Amino acid sequence: MDSPASSSSTAPGVAPAVPQSSRTETTPTLIDIQNVDFAYGDTKALHDITLQIPEKRVTAFIGPSGCGKSTLLRCLNRMNDLIDGAKVERGSIKIRDIDIYRPDVDVIELRKRVGMVFQKSNPFPKSIYENITYGLRLQGESNKARLDEVVERSLRGAALWDEVKDRLHTSGLGLSGGQQQRLCIARAIAVAPEIILMDEPCSALDPIATAKVEELIHELKEKFTIVIVTHNMQQAARCSDGTAFFYLGKLIEYAETQTIFMNPGNPQTEAYVSGRFG
Amino acid sequence: MDKLDRPPFAITKTRTRFLGLTLDECVQAFFGGNAFVAVVVLGLITFFIFREGSGFFNQNWANLELYRKAGLEFVDHLKQQEEDHTALIRYLFDLRVRTVKHYTDEEGMSLANANKRLMAFDDYSYDFGDAVEPLRGAVMDLGDWVSMVKTRALVTEDRLEEQRQLLAVGKVDEAAAIKIEEIDFGAELQPLLAFRPAYAEINAEFAAGLLRVLALPDPDLPTPELQARLAKFKVLVGGYIEEFPRIEKALLDWDYTKPVPFAKAVSSFAVGGRWLTASFWQDWYGVVPLFTGSLMVSMVALAIAVPLGVGAAIYVNQLAGEREQRFIKPCIEFISAIPSVVLGFFGIAVLGQAIRVLSQWEALSWVPGFPVAERLNALTAGVLLALIAVPTIFTLAEDALQNVPRAFKEASFALGATRLQTILRIIMPAALSGIISAVLLGFGRVIGETMVVLLCAGNRIAIPDFTTGFAAFTQPVHTMTGIIAQEMGEVVQGGIHYRSLFVVGMLLFVIALVINYLAQKIVQRYRISIG
Repeated sequence: MDSPASSSSTAPGVAPAVPQSSRTETTPTLIDIQNVDFAYGDTKALHDITLQIPEKRVTAFIGPSGCGKSTLLRCLNRMNDLIDGAKVERGSIKIRDIDIYRPDVDVIELRKRVGMVFQKSNPFPKSIYENITYGLRLQGESNKARLDEVVERSLRGAALWDEVKDRLHTSGLGLSGGQQQRLCIARAIAVAPEIILMDEPCSALDPIATAKVEELIHELKEKFTIVIVTHNMQQAARCSDGTAFFYLGKLIEYAETQTIFMNPGNPQTEAYVSGRFG
Repeated sequence: MDKLDRPPFAITKTRTRFLGLTLDECVQAFFGGNAFVAVVVLGLITFFIFREGSGFFNQNWANLELYRKAGLEFVDHLKQQEEDHTALIRYLFDLRVRTVKHYTDEEGMSLANANKRLMAFDDYSYDFGDAVEPLRGAVMDLGDWVSMVKTRALVTEDRLEEQRQLLAVGKVDEAAAIKIEEIDFGAELQPLLAFRPAYAEINAEFAAGLLRVLALPDPDLPTPELQARLAKFKVLVGGYIEEFPRIEKALLDWDYTKPVPFAKAVSSFAVGGRWLTASFWQDWYGVVPLFTGSLMVSMVALAIAVPLGVGAAIYVNQLAGEREQRFIKPCIEFISAIPSVVLGFFGIAVLGQAIRVLSQWEALSWVPGFPVAERLNALTAGVLLALIAVPTIFTLAEDALQNVPRAFKEASFALGATRLQTILRIIMPAALSGIISAVLLGFGRVIGETMVVLLCAGNRIAIPDFTTGFAAFTQPVHTMTGIIAQEMGEVVQGGIHYRSLFVVGMLLFVIALVINYLAQKIVQRYRISIG
């Protein structure tokens, strides 16, 4: 396993202890979340969230169950639109300075640029090849050579190529849990998104499969901006650059991962990361 | 202080027994008994249907045997020849109707004038019709004769049966008193065999008569189209005459002593095109008209119900809001609560009439079979049956869609799919086997439905004329279920007709069994594929 990602050379020195992040920018901000309130019907799930997610980095959302971290993640590609009565009540979420909740935003286009990997691996009941080409075919791509190329590139990108290259046309459901999850990652990167959202991608995997996926995350941040929700604090420490700690729908602290784990500014954060609650 | 007469660790049961059973065992016996009753009832039904139906083929065998021995088969060759001639006369009559229509509609002639113009044509028709006279006389004479032979044979059989029953209860004297007339078929059929040489003469005369008519100058017809029809008529007559030697040969080869193979008794049911009962000539139990009727009605029903049911299921499951779901689902499910006799009543009073009115619209005249001749037909019944199939298909298809994991849908949306793409490429394929089994069960539901088809299908026992293409669906049909409901009340128990209805029932039973089996198999595969 790699050493914690925070040891990378891009790590900034200071970490503010206030919820609003004012971290030193080493890469430009890609996602800008300002004062977001979010509610499922009458139940408020997020309170006044403000945070900036930089480009080509891994940002982890941590916090106990029900703290709103998955909700925020799903706001970023508007997956919450599928839930009746769920809506952003206040504030704005901008990606590259475009408010993704503006009425003239094409959600379909948004989701092509913001891919997602889910908690439980969910390959379609189709072949591995069809799983990966699904997104491209939706966009009307039918050139066989191009599809073949994307399949290989995506599978290599998801470190799955060597394991499945001889059985591309067998069902994706025949793979092991870890392979399925990497297939889902391959499927997400096949459409060449800018951002990949990962909703607890390793929670259903064994430690070895988890290690592979984390390694993969490391490689992926070369090309993609990754936002990962995780319950596993070691995982956040290992593979993220920045970490945001949520509690009861509020952003408690957001800073460099190293800071959050070594020198948290908020006593609640400290209690959580040291395992005293949560 | 605690009393010490109870052991400190009191975990043994205090059992109350009822008929030597503990309460648990009683409960088990009660529920097990209920399940057992269901299985026994199914077994009894199966056994009963098969027992009642099983005798049919033997009886039909005897029926066909008598048909041959009594000479009815012989006479039927001649009758067929006569009927074919009648069909040709109908063709001429049809031509006359068209011509009159042309004169009155196109040329504005009065009916009387039109008839006057057609006098030459009528003479031609009469001459053609009269040519059959010698054959017709022979057919009537021989027909009466063989009918009588058959009746006598049947009476003899009845008496023999009566005698057997008397002997069985030991009434020997009374049994001996019954007069039994032995029938020597060989002797009785002499008139038939003796007719053969005469037939050759009659045939020759008949053919000459027809040719004479054909040789007459063509009656005057106003349009090329009608003239072409007359030319076609002549071709048909030519083909008809060419058949004569074949009939003569069939009569010469006919041998009343040749046994009827048992397979004939089965095939005359399974592929027989006539269902003719209580006839004074010969009864036929061919299931094909009924089977076709059932199938046609079901096809119409499914053609309507599958898109409706599956479409509604997709809408409710994938697109509708919660409030719409709460409204639509009970509505569709309520349709299945309407008694089918009420639906049938609606079909007669409203739908049949509506279809007829609709079919008379000029704008719809391109639809095959429109305007409909009969208010009650396969289409009317099929449309109503669709109503019955929709709830079944809807409910099961909705279940199948519901069983598709939500994760598939989310994954598809997350890859930038639209709702339609997600439904067509992910949800539908994943639910396909469930939807297919829903359709199959819907098919099972409509093919077994009785009241609606009995009331609305028109109940004409004949194979529709498929040469008209889709228009066949606007012809009245009879169905397997309908025939049982209609005729079971008026048949003699244990008779061949009674048993034939049970065989039809067996057929329905087997169809239902196969459909349910297939549906279950498909659903099983579906469960595995989802993983």
